[in-house]
Amino acid sequence: MCAALGSLLYRLGETANVVKLHNIRPAIEQILSKNGFLSHYGRTLIPDHWGTTIPYHRFDVKDDRYFADYIETELMHRSEMPAMSPGLLKKFRESVFEIFSNAVLHSRTTKGIFSCGQFFPKRHRLDFSVADLGIGIRQNVQDNTGLNLAPEKAIAWATEGRNTTKRGQIPGGLGLKLLGEFIDLNGGRLQIVSDAGYWRREGGKTVIARFSEPFPGTVVSVEINTADTQSYILASELSAADIF
Amino acid sequence: MSKTLEFSIFEIVGSALCVASSDGQKVHNRLIAALNEGRSVTLSFHNITTLTSAFLNAAIGQLYGTFSEEQIRALLKVQDMQADDLALLKRVVETAKLYFKDPQKFDQAVRETLGGDSDES
Repeated sequence: MCAALGSLLYRLGETANVVKLHNIRPAIEQILSKNGFLSHYGRTLIPDHWGTTIPYHRFDVKDDRYFADYIETELMHRSEMPAMSPGLLKKFRESVFEIFSNAVLHSRTTKGIFSCGQFFPKRHRLDFSVADLGIGIRQNVQDNTGLNLAPEKAIAWATEGRNTTKRGQIPGGLGLKLLGEFIDLNGGRLQIVSDAGYWRREGGKTVIARFSEPFPGTVVSVEINTADTQSYILASELSAADIF
Repeated sequence: MSKTLEFSIFEIVGSALCVASSDGQKVHNRLIAALNEGRSVTLSFHNITTLTSAFLNAAIGQLYGTFSEEQIRALLKVQDMQADDLALLKRVVETAKLYFKDPQKFDQAVRETLGGDSDES
């Protein structure tokens, strides 16, 4: 979750604050030094011999190619990554890009997009988070639809398939829904924090809650079950002649 | 009768990863130019490894805001797509049809989804 922390610290830095981190627990300091997070705050990068970290990175919204390279290099083509089925790997890759695209399209952030991840080999889990310092889902829904929802309900609204805050010529509204469907099949977990809203999808169930204080943007965190052996091949194949 | 144009997505985007809305817009611009002239187009997804709904919405979904379903069905074809990518495109197309067919109805559906959950007074 250092994507979320990094975004908050970056925001502080933007308002003429100097951020220094002290008294970090050694185990946490080691991980945050391995994934490059603490390099932003004066620490030395520690080699990640086990290869379980996915480096912390900040991207500008126009860095989609750079982000794609990062995902391919740091996630998809690393020898330390668990042996996932080709179908699962493809779905995971798509999910990560859906999250990034969602942040680019909806957040209106000018401060960038922050990401990081961690692989847990013993638990067969791979976590990946993307944070932005944009307007948040509640404000986005309100600006584009006029609906004045509580922050957690705005997230629930945005994850419904037919709902979209997109207006104008390009339709939208599928990205988070697709993610949720994949996570249900995979047995993973999807968590979203936006404004003071919290939303979680796990085991086919959705939980929402309200935080006492808002997060100044949105964090989407996905955890996938890397031991999933489903092929993700569709039972009934569509014909290309039957699309439009 | 004019020959069908074949557009290679890989050539237009320059990558096997078709994930950004801005790249989808490049494909869309080519499609608009061709379809406005009544040309038939086949979009080839050969060598494309990853697609997102954001890319497909920009490239193809927004066509439904300019052209009728009949026009698109008559003039546009896709090829070299994997089964799950076809399924994703189908969902993007169905969503786009709803989105452009009747914006008020679309909004109504949104409100129905919410039920009594809105904080609006």
